[in-house]
Amino acid sequence: MLVEHARNVMGIEAASHAEYGGAGVPVVSLLSCSLVESEIEISITPGTRLAQLHPRESRRIERTHCNYGLSPDFAHIASAGGMRIAAVDDTGEVRAVERSGHAFFLGTLYQPQRTSSPEHPHPVWTSFVRAVQG
Amino acid sequence: MDLSEQDASFRYTVDALDHAVVAASSDVAVRIVRTDEIDALGDGVVIGPGSPYRDAAAAEDVIRTAREKGLPLVGT
Repeated sequence: MLVEHARNVMGIEAASHAEYGGAGVPVVSLLSCSLVESEIEISITPGTRLAQLHPRESRRIERTHCNYGLSPDFAHIASAGGMRIAAVDDTGEVRAVERSGHAFFLGTLYQPQRTSSPEHPHPVWTSFVRAVQG
Repeated sequence: MDLSEQDASFRYTVDALDHAVVAASSDVAVRIVRTDEIDALGDGVVIGPGSPYRDAAAAEDVIRTAREKGLPLVGT
């Protein structure tokens, strides 16, 4: 999502994902600290759709399983071109982005699926399904 | 989603969608498609975990389409 945004919205035609190697501008790069099988506390940006999904939580624990994230050199693109930062972690790094003016367009650098259960479905997924249902 | 069905992230994703469909009393059907086998898009898109993707350009095309057409999208 971030590479697509960088290329087609922000005009960084050579934007790339470091995981694929090769030439280009690595908008998504290796995290300084691996987040494989980790828990992070995210701080949700007030006024965002993500905040609407978690109306009683300004901070919450999420589980992660990744080694890559938005390069600090390109942090600015997360809040430009219709994209906005929906959550950051304790280090200030972007952990969720969403598009304003879109029915439902959310990217997370955590896995909300990992904290879902039949008894407590994760709001990201229930809201997504409702958006699809129309 | 390109992960194998045995991968924990694959299972978490499919299960969470199942939880959501039940909770929302929805009849939305979930279809898992590999990035190198994408044919037509449904009414919403999940870009599942598990990069690098088999066909990154195809995944990016899907994201672009969802952005431009207003299709609901979650990427994790």
